[in-house]
Amino acid sequence: MNATTLRALADSNRLKIVELLLSGPLTVGEIVDRLGLHQPQVSKHLRVLSDAGLVEAEPSANRRIYRLRPEPLRELEDWVGSFKRIWDDHLDRLDDYLRELQTPE
Amino acid sequence: MTENNAANAEQDELVITRNFDAPRALVFKAFTEPEHLKNWWGPKGSAITVAKFDLRPGGEFLYSMRHGDGREMWGKFVYREIVQPEKVVYVNFFSDAEGNLAPNPFQIPHWPQEILNTWTFDENDGKTTLTLRGGPINATSEERNTFNGMRGSMQEGFGGTFDQLDEYLAQAF
Repeated sequence: MNATTLRALADSNRLKIVELLLSGPLTVGEIVDRLGLHQPQVSKHLRVLSDAGLVEAEPSANRRIYRLRPEPLRELEDWVGSFKRIWDDHLDRLDDYLRELQTPE
Repeated sequence: MTENNAANAEQDELVITRNFDAPRALVFKAFTEPEHLKNWWGPKGSAITVAKFDLRPGGEFLYSMRHGDGREMWGKFVYREIVQPEKVVYVNFFSDAEGNLAPNPFQIPHWPQEILNTWTFDENDGKTTLTLRGGPINATSEERNTFNGMRGSMQEGFGGTFDQLDEYLAQAF
């Protein structure tokens, strides 16, 4: 797991952009419209996401279309998943133990 | 009950809620008495040995955790607040056998070393809702960013379920 990926996602607007792109590629203009942010802001966020390898741009006519790159997302999912599992595991054990304690002898 | 859900409350905090079919006094005891803690603390297949246990503000819980594969890790809690049977606040971190701060095993640069945890126990009809809140403390801004990236991706961005991300990744290959 890569700290750059996490840092890039430590911003709620960038998370929203990633969420939007989960449904498919979009142009900067479309992202601007859907988030209600100014274009320079969106471009800045896209640059951070792109530097972290989370999105890539593809020129199309005179526009740039942004899409997600699955590799870092898969890595992120694995890592966050393992983090969640650690806690689920802990609490499952507590749950089992509490049941055991409450079982009549 | 095994219902588990994650929702975000404050900035910089990860929140996990879990319901237990047990009275609050018992759940509280299970978390605050070493003879109980050693029966369940740590991931499945691991066993802990309690080296130090002192439940009071400023007191410490120092333990070693041996995993199924033989690896041993040390961890330490420093208690801050204990309100019986409602609340426990503590700072925890990976440590060495002497209780000194040790690098965490996540292998992520800038992962916060110390986490401030608040466990609250609420009782309803003899059942207990346990809420865990955790967030970095004494952290650099980089450590906070790294933590928030994890917290955000776990809770806000992908709705905590990862369904949408799963679907996306399924299509992407």
